[in-house]
Amino acid sequence: MANNTSGASHNFKVVLLGEGCVGKTSLVLRYVEDKFNTNHVTTVQASFLNKKLNIDGKRINLAIWDTAGQEKFHALGPIYYRSSNGAVLVYDITDEDSFQKVKSWVKELRKMLGADICLVIAGNKTDLEKNRNVSLEEAEAYAIKVGAIHFQTSAKLNKGVEEMFLVLTQKMLETVEEKEAQNAPLSRQNSQRRNVVVVDDDQVPPPPTRQCCSNS
Amino acid sequence: MPIFALQRSYKYMMYATKQPSLRINQADLKCKNGCGYYGNADWDGYCSKCYRNHMDQERQRKARQSHSDQTKVSGFSKFEEKKRQQTDKKNKYLKSLPVFRKTSSAKDSGRPERHLDLRQANPDADKLTAEFISLYGVWGEQVRRDFFKCVQSFTTKIYSELENKPIEDIAEMAQKYYNLYSNRVNNTETYQEVTTDVRDELLDFFEKYVMVSLYSWLFCPPSTNDEEKDLIIQERIRKLSWVNAHHLDCCISETSIEVRDLVYTAITHLLGMDSMKAPQDKLSCVVSCCQSVVKVLQHCQGGPVSADEFLPALIFIVLKANPARLKSNILYVTRFCNDSRLMQGEAGYYFTNLCCAVSFIENLTAESLNMPQQEFEAYMNGEITSVSAWESALVACEGMHQLCEHLSLLKDLSIRTNTVQDETKKLTDDILKFKEEMNEKVNSVLERTPLIIKPRKTPELSEKVDDTQNSQNFYLQNLQIATSNIDDAKTKLQLDITPCVSKTSPTDDHSLSKINYDIDFSDLSGESSLAELTPEKRKSPSFTPDPFSPVGSSCPITQAPLIPTKPDDFVLPFVETQETLLEKEDEGPNLPSPIKPMTAQYSGFSKQGWQIPSIPCITGELGANASQANSQTSQDKEN
Repeated sequence: MANNTSGASHNFKVVLLGEGCVGKTSLVLRYVEDKFNTNHVTTVQASFLNKKLNIDGKRINLAIWDTAGQEKFHALGPIYYRSSNGAVLVYDITDEDSFQKVKSWVKELRKMLGADICLVIAGNKTDLEKNRNVSLEEAEAYAIKVGAIHFQTSAKLNKGVEEMFLVLTQKMLETVEEKEAQNAPLSRQNSQRRNVVVVDDDQVPPPPTRQCCSNS
Repeated sequence: MPIFALQRSYKYMMYATKQPSLRINQADLKCKNGCGYYGNADWDGYCSKCYRNHMDQERQRKARQSHSDQTKVSGFSKFEEKKRQQTDKKNKYLKSLPVFRKTSSAKDSGRPERHLDLRQANPDADKLTAEFISLYGVWGEQVRRDFFKCVQSFTTKIYSELENKPIEDIAEMAQKYYNLYSNRVNNTETYQEVTTDVRDELLDFFEKYVMVSLYSWLFCPPSTNDEEKDLIIQERIRKLSWVNAHHLDCCISETSIEVRDLVYTAITHLLGMDSMKAPQDKLSCVVSCCQSVVKVLQHCQGGPVSADEFLPALIFIVLKANPARLKSNILYVTRFCNDSRLMQGEAGYYFTNLCCAVSFIENLTAESLNMPQQEFEAYMNGEITSVSAWESALVACEGMHQLCEHLSLLKDLSIRTNTVQDETKKLTDDILKFKEEMNEKVNSVLERTPLIIKPRKTPELSEKVDDTQNSQNFYLQNLQIATSNIDDAKTKLQLDITPCVSKTSPTDDHSLSKINYDIDFSDLSGESSLAELTPEKRKSPSFTPDPFSPVGSSCPITQAPLIPTKPDDFVLPFVETQETLLEKEDEGPNLPSPIKPMTAQYSGFSKQGWQIPSIPCITGELGANASQANSQTSQDKEN
């Protein structure tokens, strides 16, 4: 559950999505362990990590779920991002394909989870600026269009990683609190039953209006 | 409650069964019935309402069918299939009697029967109750009572609804109950003193308790087609047995022994899931399996394991393990595990990965293995049978295991045979030693005993021996004594009295009560050649106190002679043999006089006198033993 009854602490689930080799694991390791060279990392596994935060006196626990990025596992995405509060969509600025992949993820996420999920798009590997293939303007314009926030990150140089997760957390917090204010007694049901909304490609989805079989 | 009719499994299974595509047509998502609501692949493409109608129709059809072909049983051999038949039969039976079912659940009279049923069917309840008391008994009677009250209401409620509602509704109810109890624990006064950690534990325990109690009804319920799904996935995995680590782009090295062991561990954990009852126990099996997988990967590649590597490895493990009732287990956990645990935390993550792995296996295509369609088909049809390194490694591993087992067994056996051989050697040595000893003993005894045998034949000789004192043996004397005891009785008495009077004159008072001892002194003096010396010796201690004691008493004086004499009395007859033999020769002229007192001594100790002759008897027994031993050894030789 996204929100605890006490209100003082929150558990957020964040999924990392993106093509293979764009640096999802490096990003999360940089954030949680503040290390880049995998030889120095003490963590046994980097696929599931917890990070504790404190924002405005609110205790927040981020559960960061890494996902398999290979194309053949794309179909499994829904199982991963089900009931997550936020998603970090990572692409490699030197790889145009990985950016296209992010676009497809965004569409899918908006389709499945609607506006409940907070999206962050991360253009990783800015240390390889000279090989850039994805223009910053294009990426930022796209992010604004789909209601996501764009960041430029480098796990290697430790740039933008902390900031990105912080902003995402704040956004998730806002979303949750907004929802709590709206319908406090029904918060659980809502988080349980996310509505499926089918959207056109480049539109921010409308707020969910209909529930399956709600009239019977 | 139509809003809740949306099935929970929807969240897990629906999307995964679709192929990835950028566009999903709206029509694809809609109910097949065309009612305008969204459908679900898990419900055969219907929306929940249409699906329920559809299922009702199916059931009725089946019920009708079951009347016609109730006896149709095809010959399955596997356990799962057998079980499915049983549940099917049960199902059919229940469905063929809808009237009975309805009335029994509606009637109140049916309820007590159900309680009983529930308790009987749950052998773990007592264990769980005991566990609860041992863990949380410290928090007081109120907590305990409230806990069991909630458990009772939960199980009763679920049980009563079991046959009327689809399993998804039941799952929804269970989740609501978990939440209810969570609120109760966190907000009621009853639990005020309980710390937050223990509150969480209590919630977990609540879940465990109710789920274990209701396990047989909630796991793979007959109203669903979980069983069929199990069989389908099992068959699928069996068909995919040729898939190896390379197909999955996973870097499990197939040759390392450590890796193999870890893979074994992971497989064991995954297989163990089926034997657990509580959802959280099943989850923890999944977690330990996944942790082993992580270890495998770390062993193979080093560094932290990312999801890119983890998922293929887990798929590989699932393929190799082919766990029993995989789908039923996943669905059970999905339905009845507390949502908060399933959505968050490591357990949730790993379980999600398992769901992913299963989903991947279900939808596996040639493309996802990066191989041509034709090759894939050929593999699936069994036209190509690859000897994958893993297969052979596992087989070899099995062989190695057996080899090791047999080797250890052989080692154990050889150790045992060695000990047996040592023991037999020792035993033969012992036997030989015993034989020698026995021979020695027998010989030594024989050296002594021949003398016994001869005089026995000539008892009359004894008198002559007495007279001449040429007899060499003490035993001989004894024998003689034994025989001539009664005859000499008179002479003894006469002899006894005289020395008694002469010696014990200073201690008259006591002499009367201790006549026996006095007689002994006389015997000693009379019998042995030291007869002259001993009185002097005795006199010297007895006389020395005299000057001091006239005022005191006569007691010390009387005692003084008694104490030293006592041992003498007992020892002398035995020591005698040596002394007499030695000294008799020296003091030949004194001999005639001691002879008679000697006989007197033995007669005085009539009882002792009878014991002493028993010594020859003992030698006789020894002889018997020796003869036995001889016979034994001869037997041994024969053997």
